[in-house]
Amino acid sequence: MSNLVEIENLHVAFRNDEGGYNDAVRGVSLTLGREKLGIVGESGSGKSLTGRSLLGVLPPYARVSVDRMSFDGIDLKAASPRLRRSLRGGRMGMILQDPKFSLNPVMTVGKQIVEAIRIGDRKVGHREARARAIAVLESVHIRDPESVFNLYPHELSGGMGQRVMIGMMVVREPDLLIADEPTSALDVTVRTQVLSILDELVARRGMGLIFISHDLNLVSKFCDRVIVMYAGRIVETIEASRLSEAQHPYTRGLLSCLPHINGSLEPLPVLNRQASWAEA
Amino acid sequence: MLEVHDLNVDFSGKIAVRNTGLTVRSGESFGLVGESGSGKSTILRTVMGLNGSWSGTIKVDGLDIRKTPRKQLARVVQMVFQDPYSSLHPRYVIGQQVAEPMRINGLPNPERRTAELLELVGLGGLKFQFRFPHELSGGQRQRVAIARALALSPKLLLLDEPTSALDVSIQAEILNLLNRLRKELGLTFVIVSHDLAVISYMCERLMVMRNAQPVETLTRDQLRAGEIANDYTRTLIAAA
Amino acid sequence: MSTTEIAADPRHAVRAARWAEFKLFARRFMRNPLGVAGLVIVLLLLFAAAFAPWLATHDPYLPNLTSRLAAPSAEYWFGADELGRDIYSRLIYGSRLTLLIVALVIVTSAPVGLIIGAVSGTVGGWVDAVFMRITDIFLAVPKLLLALAFVAALGPGIVNAALAITLTAWPPYARLARAEALVVRNSDYVNAARLAGASEFRIIVFHVIPMCLSSVIVRMTFDMAGIILTAAGLGFIGLGAQPPLPEWGAMISTGRKFIFDQWWIATIPGAAIFIVSLGFNLLGDALRDLLDPHLRQRK
Repeated sequence: MSNLVEIENLHVAFRNDEGGYNDAVRGVSLTLGREKLGIVGESGSGKSLTGRSLLGVLPPYARVSVDRMSFDGIDLKAASPRLRRSLRGGRMGMILQDPKFSLNPVMTVGKQIVEAIRIGDRKVGHREARARAIAVLESVHIRDPESVFNLYPHELSGGMGQRVMIGMMVVREPDLLIADEPTSALDVTVRTQVLSILDELVARRGMGLIFISHDLNLVSKFCDRVIVMYAGRIVETIEASRLSEAQHPYTRGLLSCLPHINGSLEPLPVLNRQASWAEA
Repeated sequence: MLEVHDLNVDFSGKIAVRNTGLTVRSGESFGLVGESGSGKSTILRTVMGLNGSWSGTIKVDGLDIRKTPRKQLARVVQMVFQDPYSSLHPRYVIGQQVAEPMRINGLPNPERRTAELLELVGLGGLKFQFRFPHELSGGQRQRVAIARALALSPKLLLLDEPTSALDVSIQAEILNLLNRLRKELGLTFVIVSHDLAVISYMCERLMVMRNAQPVETLTRDQLRAGEIANDYTRTLIAAA
Repeated sequence: MSTTEIAADPRHAVRAARWAEFKLFARRFMRNPLGVAGLVIVLLLLFAAAFAPWLATHDPYLPNLTSRLAAPSAEYWFGADELGRDIYSRLIYGSRLTLLIVALVIVTSAPVGLIIGAVSGTVGGWVDAVFMRITDIFLAVPKLLLALAFVAALGPGIVNAALAITLTAWPPYARLARAEALVVRNSDYVNAARLAGASEFRIIVFHVIPMCLSSVIVRMTFDMAGIILTAAGLGFIGLGAQPPLPEWGAMISTGRKFIFDQWWIATIPGAAIFIVSLGFNLLGDALRDLLDPHLRQRK
């Protein structure tokens, strides 16, 4: 079976104040097929760094080492910066938590999408690019795409901005989409829409999706498979449907410490972190 | 404890809160739920006097906030902010930050009370008192912010999304802490959140807001029994 | 230190915490070699100024006509000027004048700018409008021209030159402090202080100004280089320090006449100005990397 993404023994480290290095990601290995893979963990667990190293967009002061990292048969470890850049522009995409940082504030939404289309395929004419941009906006459930086309990013609400961002990413029809907390800044009603758009894309285009989130419940409902990270390591990998059978105490702790609308009013169980979780 | 009548708030033409009223009884925990832009945080900030132009009446513990000097109000009502990363001054050690309200109001023995307050929020011992905020985790910072809000022994605590910037396991710790403090100190809470589960866990009554207006007010029992009149509230529950 | 000691003296513990912060800062600073080089240059300048009488080999003011325009030698390390005075000794004593001007300008302009900017940004409204328009007016006046007019009116001299530079040096600080204050005044920690009943005065002094300080310090370090250059420029055109004071700019000015035959008279003080300005710039750059909130990442 050919995997879309394979990562073996990934380490990411940052310099600390003493001049040494602190490992933020410590020996992560994972594979991704054409599926929805969730990476869950708390802040500082290394989940975002894992996604970013796959794309090659870590800050230059990070020290990365990996035994093997491949994307659809391409060895990313040996790939030139130029090749990686073209992969990022075409076959891999990333959605960030806050669309405000990823959209160019001085260019209208439509122009940005048109540009994305034309970078991907220079033969596309202006008119056709425009038509395709509007079709994309429609496909991410934006009402009245003609007028949104001419808006600037600051004129969009958070949910709309996020959907435009997704539109911009999928217009290149990537094979891999990394979504880093794509819905945490969104209201629950908008979140449902955004998730259904992503779901549709995976189903229709056979895209691979890495969904990075701190929200275990959300991920378990949405993804096929879940990786739980703690302190830079993977502590558990499990089918999303069988999350309730999770073995690792950290996963179980995360599940039980959430309040529920119909839950008990007793004090919430809190997580007793054990040093051994970080080692294992 | 808190009475709001006919509250209207607008920010240079944009209406943030429209014709809103609510009453919170002493000792109660009251929740405000809604999506971003629904005006729920604006109500809290208006009660605290952080918004300039508003109309209507707001009474805290019987005191009309327009006619009461700020220092007097400060001893009745305090607020905890959403983001513990921006609510503590980065240049002072946390002991100084907790003591600051007492120094401003000339309360006796601020050092000793600071130590007591930090003990109360689970940051006891001298370890934390002389740390700077950046040396603390998000959860610890939020505990400091809570200790600071309690420094003047207020009766009413307004909590603006107190856990939404925190990890879920830390959220559980902070919610437990808040519940314990409410019981021990006999506080009244008004909690703003976008998370119905949190509100259902923390509050006896809640008001759902949408587009600057209240949608409906429910008790926890009504919420849990599904005795809901409004469709929007149902959507929120379904999505949660 | 035992814990009982901390309890007995909280002020001491706060100081200890600040000291620990400073040590951390120093360690990060030491990782920047250029910054360290800048710091060394600045420290050398301070050292030269402090120990001038011991470092100098000759009296900087005493003419000695037999050694007029002497070339650099074992006796006169950097040569002698047109009155036979040792250039090395004059350079060493001149560092005192340079530091004096820099200090005078900084202690007057930075606090004035900081306070005006912090008040302006925090209070807002008409106070802001008035203060900022005044600032704009001063910013619009050409720097050297205002200094020239000022010195022409009050007469040349070091103090007047410093005052003249101050007049044009404070507005950037006010701009800088205001920009910081605009952000800080709406932050939640300032709101928390407001909710506790803090007066606007207390908020400005204890909450806004400490947050403006780091960018002001960075700006100050960069400014010192500029001040040295402006002071030397005023000295050069005869409106700063007056003879026989060994001010570097004035020294270049006298050396100008001999530049083709006795190059060292103008070149040595010129090199001193260059090195010291460079030192302050390197130091400023390193400090900015560490202190600038826009460059620093949120932990």
